[in-house]
Amino acid sequence: MRILIIEDEAPLLERVTAQLREQGYAVDTAAEGRTGLYLGQEYPLDAAIVDLGLPDMPGIEVIRRWRADGRKFPILILTARGRWQDKVEGLEAGADDYLVKPFYTEELLARLRALIRRTGGWTQTVLDCGPVALDIGAQQVTLAGQPVEVTAYEYKLLEYLMLHAGTVISKTELTEHLYQEDEDRDSNVLEVLVGRLRRKLDPDRTLNPIETLRGRGYRFRLERAAG
Amino acid sequence: MHSFSGRLLIAASVVLAAFLGLTGLILDRAFQDSARAAVQDRLQVQVYMLLGVVDVDAFNRLTLPKALPEARFSTPDSGLYADVMDASGHLVWRSPSLLGRALPFFPAVRNPGDTQFAPLESAEGDLLFLLAFTVSWEVAPNQYQLYTFRVAETQWNYLDQLWSFRRSLWGWLLAATGVLLAVQGLILRWSLRPLRRVAAEVTEIESGQRLELSSNYPDELQPLTANLNTLVRQGRTLLERYRNALGDLAHSLKTPLAVLRNALENGASPEELRQALIEQVERMNRTVDYQLQRAAASGPIALSVPLPVAPLTRRILDSLAKVYAERALSLHSEVAATTAFYGDEGDLMEILGNLADNACKWARRQVVVRAWPAEDDGRAELIVEVEDDGPGIPAEQAPLLLNRGQRADPMVAGHGIGLAVVRDLVEEVYYGRLEIGYGALGGAKVRARLRFQAR
Repeated sequence: MRILIIEDEAPLLERVTAQLREQGYAVDTAAEGRTGLYLGQEYPLDAAIVDLGLPDMPGIEVIRRWRADGRKFPILILTARGRWQDKVEGLEAGADDYLVKPFYTEELLARLRALIRRTGGWTQTVLDCGPVALDIGAQQVTLAGQPVEVTAYEYKLLEYLMLHAGTVISKTELTEHLYQEDEDRDSNVLEVLVGRLRRKLDPDRTLNPIETLRGRGYRFRLERAAG
Repeated sequence: MHSFSGRLLIAASVVLAAFLGLTGLILDRAFQDSARAAVQDRLQVQVYMLLGVVDVDAFNRLTLPKALPEARFSTPDSGLYADVMDASGHLVWRSPSLLGRALPFFPAVRNPGDTQFAPLESAEGDLLFLLAFTVSWEVAPNQYQLYTFRVAETQWNYLDQLWSFRRSLWGWLLAATGVLLAVQGLILRWSLRPLRRVAAEVTEIESGQRLELSSNYPDELQPLTANLNTLVRQGRTLLERYRNALGDLAHSLKTPLAVLRNALENGASPEELRQALIEQVERMNRTVDYQLQRAAASGPIALSVPLPVAPLTRRILDSLAKVYAERALSLHSEVAATTAFYGDEGDLMEILGNLADNACKWARRQVVVRAWPAEDDGRAELIVEVEDDGPGIPAEQAPLLLNRGQRADPMVAGHGIGLAVVRDLVEEVYYGRLEIGYGALGGAKVRARLRFQAR
């Protein structure tokens, strides 16, 4: 998951960035509205966190321009004042949720997960596809009710695939959404990770949860459970 | 120009100067014309007088006697001159006053009975008025000859008269201008005095010597002073509220600080200290949030336009629908298009937003927001009601919820200060009441009664 944070308060930005990275998100940061606006226009984001009180350009304006440009990723706004007028204005400009400063990072993470889940069309915190279930809150994967041990990278990959279950995702899209700017983007790594996930989720090779479409990418092909 | 008196003085001076200047010019012109006409009349009389003494000699020539009826014709350089020309332009007679000089050539001989009059300059540089009169003289029976009689007078007299007239004319006009301007200045001072009084009284209000502007102002100023008074009163209430809020804030921060200090002094274990710190920091945070929101309230605005409630309710519900998107709540509003609120938009948003947000947190499927106008003793009121189909609020819990910073359910995300903020807004800022009860949907129903004037 690729997240952009626009926040001018350096300590807060650092704290949130560190915690998001710890959770396995690829994080882009901006301390000014203009930089953030550009990043949001150019990068394939899964979500953005925008502080409303930015020095050079109001956060609301950044959000408005993104939406005017047709950018659809979910946006969470941070506001220091907590006035309903500000919240409503932010939501009307195109944000999807708000958080009043100061906040607990856990709350921010929970809101963020919910937003990303919603864009994939999921309404539950547990993504249920046949025997495979992924609990976004607990970051746990189960196969037919039994917990499956996965590494952080494997989890990230599986989460992205399951969030967009049923749609084909290219390797480029996967690397763009899963990796930091400076990380190694060798596509062999992806193939290795997909191979490992297949072995863990489908030990007897009957389920085939992740299919490879030659030249197009991958697709999580198990049907979503109702709900 | 930054002052009324300055502007009025300049405008009036320009108008006065233009008016009096024009008057002066016209009078000057009229005087010149009449003075010239008088000169012309006088010269005409002289011509007739000369004609009266004309004689014809033996050679049928025109002659004039040595002793003329007007002595000035005989006195050299007297300023009054005359000559006579025949039809071919030869001078047949000149008055002795000319003494070797000649009148400037003017005009050519014309038809009998013609008169011509013009100011001219003589060869010596004297300014003259010259009148020429042509006659047909019967020198012998049935023998007529054309003669032109010319009479000239220097302009000394005329110019003297003109300048003395001008001196007194412009003198009087200037004096009149001065008097008019002075009078106008006095009128200005007198009629602008109430404005200076307003300024003085405002200064007194600033320095605290006075609470309000006095009321005996001219009709034109009454709306201004009344509005100023309203603003002053509003400012005072605000100030009082800020003062109270600041006091409340300081007091409410004292308790958590005391708890922390106690924990430190009593040698609590690191784990206990940590726990105390977490609790008290959260408490302080809630206090600050609560006071912040309270301080932002503006209150009823006496000069405000009525604010329609329906669109605002719609905006709040649309925003909440977005925030609670995954819970698929049905959010309804029952507000007539004419229902209005007489206060700050932010305040109403705060009330509606907090109540509706709370309702959304607790609701199972439904939230309804209603608002309708009411009246109490002729004063406009607005009733706002928010209802949900959640578990409801037990009567014994209601007072707890309204307490500052109380959180009904710590597990539901968000700050539990919403209801307390609404209570403060409703009861302290809008002189109203907040009631918590059960509604028809089975859940909580919160009703706020907002008033726009103190009782």
